[in-house]
Amino acid sequence: MRMDLILEILDVPGQLVSVLSPLGDLGANLVTVIHQRENKNEKGMVPIQLTLEGERENLNAVIEKYKEMNLSIIEIDGVVRKEYFSTILYGHIIDTDVRDTVDKINAVEGLVVSALQFKLEGELASTALLTIEMDVGKREYAYEKVMEIAKEKDFLVIDEV
Amino acid sequence: MDECKLVILGFGAVGQGFARAVLMKKEFIKEKYGVGLKIVAVADSSSSAICADGLAEEELLKSKAISGKVGSYPDCGSDLTGTDLLDAVDYDILIEATPTNIQTAEPAKSLTLKAFAHGKDVVTSNKGHLALFYKELIEAKEAAGVEFKFEASVGGAMPIINLCQENLASCGISSIKGILNGTTNYILSRMTSEGTSYENTLNEAQHLGIAETDPTQDVEGIDAACKVVILANSVLGIDATYSDVEVRGISNVTLEAIELAKEEGYYVKLIGEVSKNNLKVSPRLVKQNSQFAIDGTLNLATVTTDLADEITVMGKGAGSLETASAMLSDLISIIKNK
Repeated sequence: MRMDLILEILDVPGQLVSVLSPLGDLGANLVTVIHQRENKNEKGMVPIQLTLEGERENLNAVIEKYKEMNLSIIEIDGVVRKEYFSTILYGHIIDTDVRDTVDKINAVEGLVVSALQFKLEGELASTALLTIEMDVGKREYAYEKVMEIAKEKDFLVIDEV
Repeated sequence: MDECKLVILGFGAVGQGFARAVLMKKEFIKEKYGVGLKIVAVADSSSSAICADGLAEEELLKSKAISGKVGSYPDCGSDLTGTDLLDAVDYDILIEATPTNIQTAEPAKSLTLKAFAHGKDVVTSNKGHLALFYKELIEAKEAAGVEFKFEASVGGAMPIINLCQENLASCGISSIKGILNGTTNYILSRMTSEGTSYENTLNEAQHLGIAETDPTQDVEGIDAACKVVILANSVLGIDATYSDVEVRGISNVTLEAIELAKEEGYYVKLIGEVSKNNLKVSPRLVKQNSQFAIDGTLNLATVTTDLADEITVMGKGAGSLETASAMLSDLISIIKNK
């Protein structure tokens, strides 16, 4: 089977080689590689597009290897490797400084609050739906952070399955 | 085995449903498996009917309907109930359908242990004893060398325990997530579709007989938590008991939360989750296009496995004949192995 990957690497010498060198040992064949150094993204990283061929377990081994090397995988077969996690918070959202709630989440590496919706009920408690964008695999992390804040500020949480 | 003598203990909705199911299916079972089912004793909380030659299912149901006591069965009425009855009659399999008791697990626990002590198999729909004393019961069953089946205790008619233990025997199961309580799913579905408050919707559910007069077990997540414990033990092999489950019910879910979720493409559902790191019941957001977006009193479970990936089952989580179907299937599987 084939697999298309988009990775991000730092623009320093030797990076492309380090991405390609594990392939042979892991039993994956390189079909195409597109690497344009001048195409930096907003983070200053260079995207590399790879098409690999091999058995499923070999291709999975490549992904595991890349994760081990701390390479950031942006897309696998056209699927963006970002996760979204939504959660409802109910309580004194505004009184307990909503800005601070958002800042606390944003301060965690790999987590960004990407949307926030409110329903206000006068002076009483209010309901908010918070969406967090995160790198794949950070979900537990995001959940723990939200629960920590909820505990501190006495919010009820309805988290996403 | 060409005849199987049954004792039914507990003759409420489930026990009566079982008698009806036997009535409807006994010819079929006789023909297909060569075993004649014979109900030799039935007890409710205060009376019983006993007859070694077999009791007629229609008559049992009629007696119970007319007087409220199964002991009014013509010529076969008795005061014997519970473990005394089990000591007094000759039977092969106990059909245990007494009400769930999450405080003491009685009378289900004593009845089950008594049947094991007699060397008899047990089919149950009860959750209390499984949620509180799973390990003890399984050890007693193994020591006695008998069968103990409890498919009906989780998800009513929906197959989940046998599905995981038998049909998915090749797979390692890492988690089960599901809607394990029909009453709360009904209330949340109605709040979502009608925009009514929690209190009003609960009242409506009580009028329709979907919620009980004391709805605590359902709305506070206790019933779902019992099922989480049973699945944790029987499917994932986690040695857990009721107190290990983190439980939050739906009584503090506001209409605002449901509406906000709906606007953003979600529904709020009471989800039971079973995995190595998580035993919990809580209101959760589910995507409107996901399998969890089911309405009414339906139950659903998604099993995550290593080889087969995800498997989802859905079905009626309650109802007298529906729950009895799971018990009768358990009974057939015991008969087949004899």
